[in-house]
Amino acid sequence: MWTDPSIHHPFQSRRDFLHRTWNGIGALGLGGLLADDLRGNDLLAEVPPVPGDPLRERFQMHGRKAKHCIFLFMQGGVSQMDSFEYKPRLRDLHGQRMPDTGVSGELQGRLTFPHECVGSPFEFAQHGQSGRWMSSLFPHLAKKVDDLAFIHGIKTDNQNHGPSTYHVTTGSQFPGHPSVGSWIQYGLGTANQNMPGYMVIQDPRGAPVNGAAVWANGYLPAAYQGTLLRDKGVPILNLSRPHSLTEAEQRREFDKIKRLNELHLATRPGASELEARISAYELAFRMQTAAPAIVDISGEPESIQKLYGLDNDKIAGFGRQCLLARRLVEQGVRYTMVINGVQIGGDSWDHHGKVQDGMIKKSAEVDQPVAALIEDLKQRGLLEETLVVWASEMGRTPFVNGSAGGTPGREHNSYALCMWMAGGNVRGGATAGQTDDYSLRSLGEPIHVRDVHATILDLMGLNDEKLNYLHAGRIRRLTDIGGHVISEIIS
Amino acid sequence: MNQIPRPHTAYTTAEIRALTRNLLRGCRCIFTAATLLTVAVESKGAGAAGASGPEDWPYSRPVDAPPPEVKSADRVVNPLDAFVLQKLEATGLTLAPEADRRTLVRRLYFDLIGLPPTPEQVEAFVNNTAQNAYGELVDSLLADPRYGERWAKFWLDLARYADTAGYEGDPDLPHAWRYRDYVIDSLNRDKPYDEFIREQIAGDEFEEIMGAGELPSAKPEQAVALTFLRLAPFTEPRGDETRHEMLSEMTSTVSSVFLGLTVGCAKCHDHKYDKIPMKDFYRMQAFFNTVQIAPPERGDIFQIGGPMPADFYREGEKEWAENKRQELHGIQGQLDTLRADFGKRAGSALPDEKQLPDAKQRADQLDDWISNPANEAITAAERKPFLELKEKLPFVKQHLKRLQPVAMTLRHSFGPPYEPGVPVTRVMLRGEYDKPGDPVEAGFLSCITGNSEPAKIRLDPFKRWPTRSRRMTLAQWIASPENPLTARVMVNRLWAQHFGRGIVPTLSDFGKLSGGPSHPELLDWLAHRFVENNWSLKAMHRLMVSSGTYRQSSVAASDRAARADPDNSLLSRSKRRRIEAEAVRDAVLAVSGRLNPEVFGLPIFPPLPEDIAQRVKYDQSKWATDNGPEGRKRSLYIYQQRTLTMPFMQSFDGLVCEDSVPERRLSVTPLQALEMYTGDLVNEEVKHFAARIIKDAGDDPQRRIERAFAIAFGRAPTTAEITELRDEAASEEKLTGLCRILFNASEFVYVD
Repeated sequence: MWTDPSIHHPFQSRRDFLHRTWNGIGALGLGGLLADDLRGNDLLAEVPPVPGDPLRERFQMHGRKAKHCIFLFMQGGVSQMDSFEYKPRLRDLHGQRMPDTGVSGELQGRLTFPHECVGSPFEFAQHGQSGRWMSSLFPHLAKKVDDLAFIHGIKTDNQNHGPSTYHVTTGSQFPGHPSVGSWIQYGLGTANQNMPGYMVIQDPRGAPVNGAAVWANGYLPAAYQGTLLRDKGVPILNLSRPHSLTEAEQRREFDKIKRLNELHLATRPGASELEARISAYELAFRMQTAAPAIVDISGEPESIQKLYGLDNDKIAGFGRQCLLARRLVEQGVRYTMVINGVQIGGDSWDHHGKVQDGMIKKSAEVDQPVAALIEDLKQRGLLEETLVVWASEMGRTPFVNGSAGGTPGREHNSYALCMWMAGGNVRGGATAGQTDDYSLRSLGEPIHVRDVHATILDLMGLNDEKLNYLHAGRIRRLTDIGGHVISEIIS
Repeated sequence: MNQIPRPHTAYTTAEIRALTRNLLRGCRCIFTAATLLTVAVESKGAGAAGASGPEDWPYSRPVDAPPPEVKSADRVVNPLDAFVLQKLEATGLTLAPEADRRTLVRRLYFDLIGLPPTPEQVEAFVNNTAQNAYGELVDSLLADPRYGERWAKFWLDLARYADTAGYEGDPDLPHAWRYRDYVIDSLNRDKPYDEFIREQIAGDEFEEIMGAGELPSAKPEQAVALTFLRLAPFTEPRGDETRHEMLSEMTSTVSSVFLGLTVGCAKCHDHKYDKIPMKDFYRMQAFFNTVQIAPPERGDIFQIGGPMPADFYREGEKEWAENKRQELHGIQGQLDTLRADFGKRAGSALPDEKQLPDAKQRADQLDDWISNPANEAITAAERKPFLELKEKLPFVKQHLKRLQPVAMTLRHSFGPPYEPGVPVTRVMLRGEYDKPGDPVEAGFLSCITGNSEPAKIRLDPFKRWPTRSRRMTLAQWIASPENPLTARVMVNRLWAQHFGRGIVPTLSDFGKLSGGPSHPELLDWLAHRFVENNWSLKAMHRLMVSSGTYRQSSVAASDRAARADPDNSLLSRSKRRRIEAEAVRDAVLAVSGRLNPEVFGLPIFPPLPEDIAQRVKYDQSKWATDNGPEGRKRSLYIYQQRTLTMPFMQSFDGLVCEDSVPERRLSVTPLQALEMYTGDLVNEEVKHFAARIIKDAGDDPQRRIERAFAIAFGRAPTTAEITELRDEAASEEKLTGLCRILFNASEFVYVD
């Protein structure tokens, strides 16, 4: 890595990096390297963040177009054979027992159900130049297929919602690990220091499974946590001034704080963490003035509001989330997580029963806004520099859920998660991975979630092997034992 | 100073020099890390049989070397200092001068009890000219019940303590809090560390069984201690897989917490850096294989497993629980009384039985009528208690459950003929639960014992309970003076807390990646003293904080010292540090005078920013907000909800543990500034802080500033500070601004 000449300050090697920094190009050392704050941890990363200024923007490890990432997370487990995977054979077998697929092992518990096949009740058609098959549930997104690259048959390590949600959002099925956005923040910092670099826009109806742990910083420093964008009142917690203070009065108090802290620092020479603290207060002040405008979408033209479906009650919730995501990208926010679905209730994609009704409801919520997001980013020339990722925590089974009565539903299937990406260096129209005729298992070399994570990092200009952190005696990475970058979908 | 990047020509010579220094420092660290990695990678796959090398130091017993002779013998307060001075002198350095008394008293308070001293406590120490003033202060703080509270949090982080199970639904663990109180109590009573270990690993296996009769049940205290093994996050169980993961987690956590070895890395393959073959992971795991958890109670939809009986055992605890229960039962009664009283005033404003036959609907309408702020029949002051009680009501049931005399403990299985005997433990290929390999017997780590023999498990004479004593066997091996790691690991943890970094920098990993101890002889010397003093933690604290090394100033004695020991690994000065999240919140409340000092008790639920609890709720929020004094107890009592870390705590690197956390990060972020300046907690407490100043200091601005500084920082303000703040102290209105400024001063959250 480090060899792409197209990026403006390629560090060919560690020595080169230090040499250039020595010449005043790099930001390293401005705050003073605090060896004790680092404790040796960050030093394993190729370009360590500056202590006391952990969010300062850093260079990519290799040249990629994407500067931002929008991670769309569909809570519950989207049924891949009712959305993006066309399985005519499954439809032929609808209502019949599933043929012996020879599958056993970890899915055993789930496979003791009567294996009655459920064909998709939805029509499929080919779209775009790539001729991708899409179900009729996604008419808007179908018009964008040539911008999307699909990955099929992704495996997660666990088929319960809690662990698999962790797995897709943090790289480990066990809690306590940093989320994807935290790793990217750790690797790249953020361009606009007046806003947190990692924002979360959750479903207005509530939280995902595992709650705030889904956007936690895990063992990485607190600076890399996701910040919840609030849809009512002030957009970020604690942004509004203490009541009854004018901006001038607050400024005055901030100046007093600064003065006291400078006096304090003066008798403690070289205490760079105290210097960093002084500048953190200035950042906080700027954040207070810059951030509130973000959630005020009244200035968006009617055409844009309509594009996202804000004029339709059923769509407006997610539409607003997607529109806010675009506005955050414009503000230089590095990583935005947009969540659809609450826990695993009726508002999620967890369709153990009535998968037909459920998919109609859920796809209607998101189809138009997601397509609008891609359209809107593209029109503004932002899709070039924004990686958009669609994810869920698992796929679903081709056979009926044993416990569900009424119209059929589908069980969890941790072997057949389907995701797509768009923007940046994503090769639109490409496909990676493949599932069998029933979408029960993947065919060929299975793609693991860590491969997807390695690919996301790669598309953000980061190398999953190099982006590491020493914690509790182990060198940690998002991809744990390392992932394979899925080169088929990269242009 | 240098926050905004400038073209390189804009730097002064001095700055460039500083930059170079920093860079060289950076280089050194990077290369150290790189070298370390190279070494690590080259030795990949080393088995237990490998030749012994310098990295094998942790596996042999500590050497009790006498303290070395040093040049600056006058700086040796106790022998610990000699070891530190030896290293310093080898680099041509010595200890920094002793810090002044004001600095020391503040340092000791935060270190030992986690709270700032009051102005009176500061003055008492500063003016105490007795020879042993310092020692007396240390003793009094170690005897203070708040010592146990401060240090319990340190242990609870290691024990991955939380009040919920995490994952989907994040179910409540209603009895976990008893373990938290067990830790506070054990520390305050200075329970010998070896006993503390045995209780947490094998609390149910203490009683000797010599003959027939029933299986003795664990003493309540020891039953509660065993909660330690059950604190890992837990989700919807799936039979064998879940059991495999559960026992593996116990194995990993016990090893890293007590032995400082990352045995967990050997679950799927031989350890990549240390001499821990995969087989040893499963030999360790076999000690846990008769663990039995009570089946879930009816209605436990997340199937986290049942509690077991464990009476309240501390003096007065039973009575406390009974009073608490009465209080909770009383909430319903008080509400009903208020409703009846207010109802009489309603008159025709509310429908009667005839107009609205449904009693539930009538009750709802009555409540709405009472709650309506526009209702003039009820004053705001009357309404307030009603609303508060009503808010509490939905959580009464859960609190009552918490007060049952039970613990989230476990036991060994009964064994045949009642329950299955000792199951065969096998190496699980790639760590997967359904890939059994060769069978193994329970045994200790071969890197320490030098062999792979099965451990001798001492059963009762009649072998009636073949499933018993497995964990006790392990616990005794760990909690033994013969174990080369146990004492070293614990003294190193205490050292890191007091001195800002461990002698071994990675506190839960003494393996190859740790890079080894900076002061190996000192570490060993401390380990010997620890065991010699009957594993007394308080004696170890006393030894450390009494030393000359601890009492140094935090300012480098000279430029040369700063250069020669840039990261303070030689301990040429005291480590200045930001206080931890809990201490920040506790200090705000202590300074405002509103900290509720009650020790022990149910989890507390301080007010959260608006809708946070609602946003992360499952079916309903678990957050039983305490707006009253209950919510102003110390931070360690805050409900540890795995899906919700209080934003205040989170911004200061506080966290709800998912796995064992050996040390906190201490970062600096703008969100901390926002929390301290605009957050609800501070802006409520500034009012009370201001009132306290006015009460103590009256009208005079200068006296007000002096009093405020005494309370917040334990010192008098300088002339420059008085000048800067005089206007703020002039009016009562502005005084809250002064308080806000002091809460936001670096000095408030940094201890020299």
